[in-house]
Amino acid sequence: MATIAVPLGAEAEGQEADAIKRPALSEYLRWSVDHKIIGVQYGISSFLFFIIGGAMAMLIRLELWSPDLDLMVSGAAYNSLFTIHGTIMIFLFIIPMWAAFGNFVVPLQLGAKDMAFPWLNAFAFWLIPPAAVVVLLGYFVSPAEAGWTSYPPLSTIFSGDGQTLWALGAHLLGISSIMGSINFIVTIFNMRPPEMTIWRMPLLCWAVLATSIIAVMATPFLAGALTLLLLDRVAGTTFFDAAGGGDVLLWQNIFWFYSHPAVYIMVLPGMGVLSEVLSIHSRKPVFGYRMVGLSSMGIAFVGFTVWAHHMFTSLQPELRIPFMITTMIIAVPTGIKMFSWLGTIWGGKIRFTSAMLFALGFLSLFVIGGITGVMLAALPFDIHVHDTYFVVSHFHFVLFGGSVFAIYAALYHWFPKITGRMMNERLGVIHFVFTYLGFLFTFFPMHIVGMLGMPRRVAVYDARFTDWNQLISFSAFVLGFSTFIVIFNVIRSYYRGPIAGANPWRALTLEWQTTSPPPPTNFVDDPIPFEEPYGYGTAASAAYLEAVDEAFGSGAPDGRGGH
Amino acid sequence: MTTTIERREKAKFGRPSEADLRLKNNRLGMTIFQLSWIMVFLAMIIVNWQLRFSYSEWPPAGVAPFDPLLPSAATLALLLSSYLLRRGLEALRSGRVAGFTLRWRGAMALGVAFMAVIVYEFVNVSAAAMATQYGVTMRLMTGFHFAHALAILAVILHVYRKGSRGHYSGESWAVEGTAKLWYFVTLAWMLFYTVLYWIR
Repeated sequence: MATIAVPLGAEAEGQEADAIKRPALSEYLRWSVDHKIIGVQYGISSFLFFIIGGAMAMLIRLELWSPDLDLMVSGAAYNSLFTIHGTIMIFLFIIPMWAAFGNFVVPLQLGAKDMAFPWLNAFAFWLIPPAAVVVLLGYFVSPAEAGWTSYPPLSTIFSGDGQTLWALGAHLLGISSIMGSINFIVTIFNMRPPEMTIWRMPLLCWAVLATSIIAVMATPFLAGALTLLLLDRVAGTTFFDAAGGGDVLLWQNIFWFYSHPAVYIMVLPGMGVLSEVLSIHSRKPVFGYRMVGLSSMGIAFVGFTVWAHHMFTSLQPELRIPFMITTMIIAVPTGIKMFSWLGTIWGGKIRFTSAMLFALGFLSLFVIGGITGVMLAALPFDIHVHDTYFVVSHFHFVLFGGSVFAIYAALYHWFPKITGRMMNERLGVIHFVFTYLGFLFTFFPMHIVGMLGMPRRVAVYDARFTDWNQLISFSAFVLGFSTFIVIFNVIRSYYRGPIAGANPWRALTLEWQTTSPPPPTNFVDDPIPFEEPYGYGTAASAAYLEAVDEAFGSGAPDGRGGH
Repeated sequence: MTTTIERREKAKFGRPSEADLRLKNNRLGMTIFQLSWIMVFLAMIIVNWQLRFSYSEWPPAGVAPFDPLLPSAATLALLLSSYLLRRGLEALRSGRVAGFTLRWRGAMALGVAFMAVIVYEFVNVSAAAMATQYGVTMRLMTGFHFAHALAILAVILHVYRKGSRGHYSGESWAVEGTAKLWYFVTLAWMLFYTVLYWIR
């Protein structure tokens, strides 16, 4: 009972429920060192790139409606289209989008006033717009055609200057990512309140910590690979050209040594979000908290040992089996998370909020992506479906069914904290239904056409795949349409949504123990965390939440609160 | 049962001061930066290592191996310059500004000497070596390292000039951080030096 301690500052007590103090919109357009502003800057800009990359996906699906070239003038135009689609979605959408939620939520969850290095934080963000301009400029100059993985010789002798600009842009984005991650690690290690030991840290922080460790250790390899690529392209070296004593596999090794861990950069924060959302919206403690925190670290660690599974068809045969084994091992920490999530919601008082729906969506889709991952890890199967739509399906299940669903869950979950207003739940449910069905019917059939032998990265395909592709394209358009629902919901809720109050979900983590949106210094007084971040369902937690309500006015305007 | 107020007092007591926290953050941040950025140098070592497999011997047939004599002397100079930076930092911590300027001046001179040797080595790679990856990776690695050394030497010069005017006293992160960047340059070079000149 001694833990009923929340900021009881005079400012907070005098606050009217309907007077939410939000930063002016112009604040978001200029340099700011406030992590909350930077978080939103990351979020809005990444979402913009999501829309651009999504529009490109629509064009790709339009082209694939029929087996012949119709929309594109040439196969090369199609190549550059999927190249820029992948580049935007990975480097400009998913990775910075996690920096958005990390930035906004992590310091709040730690009860800190800001990140450890506010200036560096702003600098890391402001590298993204010029990098994006460089990458997009490349698309209009003479587009890169080598896919987002940029394998030589496609990226050296068969691509135009756009590839050089692509590499420069990716370089800048890598540096931004490293600086952001250094900031997260230092913040998480040094800025926690003394009561919050590492074993009482919210799981999003654990996930961001693991992600950041991967980013700082792996992204420099991308920098190294890009440096070589740039030199090969502009300085006449032959690092990737066997004729000059180089090695084509050199790029694949170094690039994948970054990019496979980068897959976990893209999904680990989503796993952190899932632990938060599932626990809070089913009013139960996280099942196996320690194992979940450690499994993030496990994924980060094992993630460094699996990169050559991307090269099964080009690797020395004696190295294939070891990489197959490590790749399968990574299913173990991932499985721990899966069972923890199921254990968490099992027997809980589940509230089917939009955030919860998207979290459950992640759970059901990511497990498919995970299982196809294990299938692809199996060497004989991988060689069979290598470079087919099966692979396309697999990584979209992981990156869309995983990361994007988690991003939506995070959006619905933290929107009230960010803006002070609730999102519209009915629209949220409609958004979920369209997204889930659109996603499932877009990407699940790709497994089948992949197994039947449809190759990826081609604009022209065998006519016998037409029916499948029309189903896929139609569903993709539904999926594309669903994005407008959430955009409408965000804009409408920003102005007209019900006032959220400090703690609408009645959550125990510290970001909810301050006003929505939080004041510039986050907390009026140093906050004291509840003894367990997910200790729902106890008398002590109920008392803690009541004290929060007393201090900030009661939340849960939808009347669905519980304890 | 402790009251809220007692807990809050205890909590306040357990929090480091703003200045302490900033120093702690800077130190950890620097360590992570060093761990992170050394990975680029490791990536280049992997490049060097993988490209060796393109040849049946290393250095490739008909290419004379690099002479380690001058680079070894330069490496010693670099190590000594790092040591002098460290001693200068200690002098500043105990309030001796003159000791700081003297040692940092020596460190910069040694740093410049090191870089001069590297430039000499870079320029004088034989045409035969440059026709193979033996020479190209050497230029890649020394050039990449040189770019870092040059940038950080500029930082050292800047901090030195401020420091010699008495800008810093006692515990100063600017000075400590700068020295740590140079240690990083030294360590990175030690790795490259070993790979380039001794691992055949």
